[in-house]
Amino acid sequence: MFDIIKKLAQTFGPSGNEKKVAEVITGLIKDKVDDVKTDALGNLICVKKGAGKKIMLAAHMDEIGLIVSHIDEKGFLRFSNVGGVHPWGIVGKRVVFENGTTGIVWYEEDKDDIKNLKFDKMYIDIMAKSAQEAEKVVKVGDMAVFAGDTILQNGRVISKALDDRIGCAVLVQMALNAPETDNEIYYVFTTQEEVGLRGARTAAYGIVPDMALAVDVCMTGDIPNCKPMAVRMGDGPTVKIKDGSVISHPHVKDRLMDAAEKNGIPYQLEVMQHGGTDAGSIHVTAGGIPSGGVSIPSRYVHNVAEAVDMNDVENAVKLLEAFVK
Amino acid sequence: MNECSELLKKLCNLRAVTGRENMAAEKIAEVLRNYCDEVTIDPFFNVIGLKKGQSEPPGNVLVTAHYDEIGLIVTGIEDSGFLRFAAAGGVDPKAIGAMEVIVHGKKDLFGVIGAKPPHLISPEDKDKGIKMEEMRIDIGYDGEKAKELVSVGDMVSFVNPARELMNNRLAGKSMDNRSGVAALVELLKELKKLHHDDNVYVVATVQEELGLIGAICASYNIKADLGIVFDVCHGDMPDAPGDETFPLGKGVAVAVGPVLSKKHTRGIIKMAKDENIPYQVDPEPGDTGTEAAAHAIAREGIPTILLSIPAKYMHTTVEMVSTDDVTAAGRLAARYIAGRDKA
Repeated sequence: MFDIIKKLAQTFGPSGNEKKVAEVITGLIKDKVDDVKTDALGNLICVKKGAGKKIMLAAHMDEIGLIVSHIDEKGFLRFSNVGGVHPWGIVGKRVVFENGTTGIVWYEEDKDDIKNLKFDKMYIDIMAKSAQEAEKVVKVGDMAVFAGDTILQNGRVISKALDDRIGCAVLVQMALNAPETDNEIYYVFTTQEEVGLRGARTAAYGIVPDMALAVDVCMTGDIPNCKPMAVRMGDGPTVKIKDGSVISHPHVKDRLMDAAEKNGIPYQLEVMQHGGTDAGSIHVTAGGIPSGGVSIPSRYVHNVAEAVDMNDVENAVKLLEAFVK
Repeated sequence: MNECSELLKKLCNLRAVTGRENMAAEKIAEVLRNYCDEVTIDPFFNVIGLKKGQSEPPGNVLVTAHYDEIGLIVTGIEDSGFLRFAAAGGVDPKAIGAMEVIVHGKKDLFGVIGAKPPHLISPEDKDKGIKMEEMRIDIGYDGEKAKELVSVGDMVSFVNPARELMNNRLAGKSMDNRSGVAALVELLKELKKLHHDDNVYVVATVQEELGLIGAICASYNIKADLGIVFDVCHGDMPDAPGDETFPLGKGVAVAVGPVLSKKHTRGIIKMAKDENIPYQVDPEPGDTGTEAAAHAIAREGIPTILLSIPAKYMHTTVEMVSTDDVTAAGRLAARYIAGRDKA
């Protein structure tokens, strides 16, 4: 499964530019599902047909990144954020454009208050010697993502873009396992989650499932002096109770907890105070779709390197398979 | 005590923390059944009452008032048995120290929000606010027993029952927005006396405090040509900006603003004048922050009226309203529905 994670995490796909990720996923699972389609917003919808309930499982394909807003006369790129990026967290980091152009993020050095750094005092240096040189390889509006390997160390994955390629990997693995069920399963790989849960909204409207789950990452409370949160990496996937965008429907939450209990799958209860997931937009679509979520506990979410535990990932697959039965 | 106070007291004492309204949906349905032709509960626990209209085909009027209440959610259980918590809906940490609560765990558990005695507060911290993450709920149990009965994600409601004050005023938890639900009942009672052409769907909605969730679902599912929202607005109180607050007992506040229907707002104000029902005008330059914002953009858009009941001390456990305003809201809406000009 690590190979799938690595392949997905290393594919370029900031919000609004998820096409390559969709192609990789299609290649991996098209033989295991009955129908594959893409909607107007670029959501990849893979259906395993069944006569029972329509269950939508959503994982978003997009990753956070940067967007070029201006190229100055010396060839430095000014930029804005795509999704939640901390200015102070990306100083000195490497970014890559879709065509492979690499840049380094830096800041105007007369600004000495790094904690309060703003994007408009920062730039990307792609080693161009002039605006003309820069414009040959990068245009205003082009997006870049953070660069970094995907590695497995002590049973844990360190990588860029685990939010939410790890959720995509869980759904891909599940589709490959093809769990037996009468229910109709919609594996939905959504777009533009990081900029406002947008893809999931239209995907859910098109499907109108009986229930839906967002498969995403959640924060943890297991690193030094962090904000308390009763979730630890390695203690199992979470059953979402609440995040910044949704309070899980009680029946969906109960069904998940039952599935975990009956099958002896370790799980944790998640109350995430900040940050939303696709469940937030799905549950208010088309007159209301009971929704919840399963999350992979992840350290350093929305940073250049994020981390998850493989046991949690594998147990998330098991939990979802038990849920849809 | 008047009938409306009696009902409102009963409604306020129900427990329906936002997102977990299944705790009270059936009780709300019971209340509406007395006045409706049909009552259903949708998958999100919106409680929908239908009072059928007498024309063929009838128009559809959607009247909503949310019945969820702000509360707390357990975020952690410490080995000592203390519970950590966060807000479910807009809760002000300054207003909850030393409150009595009910933790909705495996069973309902009485608890208190502990507060540091003034003797133990250092002089430099004396005038400072306290953050929610520094507070704990004490249910009296040690860690082992607490963990057995309480899970992360369990909801917590405030105790403060509604009490009657002078002048038809009530104070307690959840006046926001059980007073709106009481107005739904007042509306239904008034409608019984009137001939009305339209089907009237009264919906006690869920999860308003989380972002109008119940209203978004209801206004999509019920294809209405007129929407009316009952909610609370800020009551007049010392030290508050006068242009955003309204005196209690001086009538229902009719909102005027860009997301609201000009035609129907004008019409209902005229109705209030004609029928001598006390009202005040509430200018709302933004999206109102109420369910009117959801109705206005549901499907092709539903022309919507917002009627607010002035409530002092909103989002605390001593919210105060005048039942005179509740009755005025219900009566005015009923008169307008029955007599509205459909041209």
